Amino acid sequence: MFSSIEHVVESFGKHNYIASRRIATVIFLAAAMKKPVLVEGPAGVGKTDLAKVLAASLKEELIRLQCYEGLDEGKALYEWEYAKQLLYTQILKDKVTEVLVGTTGLKEAVDRIASEDEVFFSERFILPRPLMKAITSEEQVVLLIDEIDKADAEFEAFLLELLSDFQVTVPEIGTFKAKKVPLVILTSNNAREMSDALKRRCLHLYIDFPNREQELAIIRLKVPEAAEKLAEEVVNVVQSLRKLDLKKTPGISETLDWVKALTLLNVQSLDNALVDETLDTIVKYEGDVRKAQEELKEYLRKARTRRTGTEATGSSDDKDLLN
Amino acid sequence: MEDKLVEFANLLRQNGIRVSLAETLDAVAASEVTGLGERELFRAGLRATMIKRASELPVFEELFEVFFSGLGEIIKGASKEVQDALSMSDKDFQQFLDDMDEMLKKHGEELSELAKNLLQNNNGQLERMMRAAARAVRMQGIQRTIEENYFARALARALGFDKIEQEIKELREQLDKLDLGPGMKAKMEEYLDRRLKMLEDIIRKYVRQEREKRDMKAREEQRMNQLGDKSFYYLSDQELEKMREAVTRLAQRLKNIIAVRRKRMKKGRFDVKRTLRANMANGGVPFHLKFERRKREKPQILIMCDVSDSVRNASRFMLQFVYSLQDLYSRVRSFVFVADVGEVTESFRTNDVKEALDVALKGDIINVYAHSDFGRSFRNFVTDHIGAVNKRTTVIILGDARNNYNLPHDWCLREIRQRARRVIWLNPESRNTWGFGDSEMERYAIHCDLVEECRNLNQLYRVIDQLVPR
Repeated sequence: MFSSIEHVVESFGKHNYIASRRIATVIFLAAAMKKPVLVEGPAGVGKTDLAKVLAASLKEELIRLQCYEGLDEGKALYEWEYAKQLLYTQILKDKVTEVLVGTTGLKEAVDRIASEDEVFFSERFILPRPLMKAITSEEQVVLLIDEIDKADAEFEAFLLELLSDFQVTVPEIGTFKAKKVPLVILTSNNAREMSDALKRRCLHLYIDFPNREQELAIIRLKVPEAAEKLAEEVVNVVQSLRKLDLKKTPGISETLDWVKALTLLNVQSLDNALVDETLDTIVKYEGDVRKAQEELKEYLRKARTRRTGTEATGSSDDKDLLN
Repeated sequence: MEDKLVEFANLLRQNGIRVSLAETLDAVAASEVTGLGERELFRAGLRATMIKRASELPVFEELFEVFFSGLGEIIKGASKEVQDALSMSDKDFQQFLDDMDEMLKKHGEELSELAKNLLQNNNGQLERMMRAAARAVRMQGIQRTIEENYFARALARALGFDKIEQEIKELREQLDKLDLGPGMKAKMEEYLDRRLKMLEDIIRKYVRQEREKRDMKAREEQRMNQLGDKSFYYLSDQELEKMREAVTRLAQRLKNIIAVRRKRMKKGRFDVKRTLRANMANGGVPFHLKFERRKREKPQILIMCDVSDSVRNASRFMLQFVYSLQDLYSRVRSFVFVADVGEVTESFRTNDVKEALDVALKGDIINVYAHSDFGRSFRNFVTDHIGAVNKRTTVIILGDARNNYNLPHDWCLREIRQRARRVIWLNPESRNTWGFGDSEMERYAIHCDLVEECRNLNQLYRVIDQLVPR
């Protein structure tokens, strides 16, 4: 476990994740208070990565549950293996007859069978799904419940038992209590508002787009082969794009994709043609592309005049000297 | 510390942030983990446990600043001022305080606690006493600027300001008797005076701060509520912007509600075929039951918006609202009219709402500066676009029905109604003006299934809520 916030920052850093103190504090608190963390923020700011890195830096297993509309208990928690149960009953038919030897009347036979029925509803026939796995694991694990906002409201309610008491109930068997309380990270893109009950049980962390310096640091870390000048230009452009009113604002992952693409093309510095060709790595909608192009042209024009401007004044100075 | 956190939670609640008891307990637990030593750490702990919506973060930051440094900061600042006024370095000041302490010990055993804390620069103790006094006079109830004076006086009384005034006076008299150097005596006197003045200052500033703390959010909230009831006619540019956000939020809320409504009716009849297929693996024993999915009945919507000057704002929000919800309908077609009618469906499909609104209202499609002519618009609609209306279409007309004494052509509306599922007329004028002057509302109302007043956001919301499929 983490000993201090600096420790969190440091061990995340080792796994190529730049955690601000704000993020690190929440993670530290979550580990110390044994509380789930609800991470919100726009798409592509590293919410899912946070859980992955947390697992990696604690050297724990990551169990992931991807939420989607229509996700139910059967897919998230456990399911009875009906086919297996059926198969076993078929094979054990003779044994069943044996058990029933000596019974007189239907009532007695049913009683006899009933006394044995836990055989068929035991853990043997349970197919554990991610949540069950996380609860019954012998070692502590990191449980990532990804994009909880995509799941239905009922599923959210169903999670409450798990999140507050770290236990799940299987009606036929009983309650499973976590052997080691897992670290739970829930992520949400805010497609809908989470219920207050869920929020109450979690620590809340809002991750926003990084500022210029942070983003630059992330690029240096993740794409070390990118040219320094290119990285700076890309960050400038992306930061200014985020100020536009786009349908899908580019996240860090898009920035990284773009830098990688440009680096593969062996680019040292941005220019008009290149931007047009590679723009679709950061902007994903037709309308957005149009808007972004205008903004970029403007940006490049400014950059150029700045450059030529300084050259021009430089040369005029030379002239003065010559005269 | 718990008391203080509970108070902070109360303050957050007063400012419209919902903090439950469990969350307050979490905050206490978090503060035990983070400790109080490092301010940012402590703040992060509270932020993570008490604030669960990104939109509430700015309010939290502001309140944290005010609450957790507020009084302490004021006292510290005032104390520093005293030191500066006497123009002493930290070391000199400490020395001076020690001298003072000694002198007090010799002569002033009977000094009150407040006086001691004040004169010996015990800022922490002083803060504690002020808070206790503030609680005693129920300062958390302060709301208005005019109450400031009252609370300042009450607080001074609770602290025992009269007494301390008296004490300091006596101290000064005693100074005369003492054999101090002339420089020292002057300094002492000045110090005493300044301290007394400082206490007064602190009280005043503290009261003001408390009032501001409570006031801030209340005003903001009031403004938002008013926005809902504010007529579309009178909106400043800034309010237009705010209104746009409000519409987006309302639309989102409606979507959430509808998602729940939908869920309830999702399951239909038992589906034999799919059940058999799903249970093949179990030898045909039906463990998993499958149900038919009920078909969603999505209505088609056709909006006709009057975009003449008088009702433009109402039209703007109506269009924005409907388009924010467009995936709830199987089809949305929109027309704008003033003296002629034009279709703007296409621009809404390809652009985002904001741009499309601009296109619709700018006048590229029809002349928006003409005089309203409902009759002509309706007649043109019937000749050119009547095909857009069928048995599943709900036609919504938004306009004030002020026809400038032109021919009303209300038969056109009858024609539309015969083909449509229903016709709804929304009028952004208040109901009691309908039918007066050039308003043809009563003539048109005969041919509508529903006529509603729609002057502000709340009314608009209610209308839209009726329109969405259940």
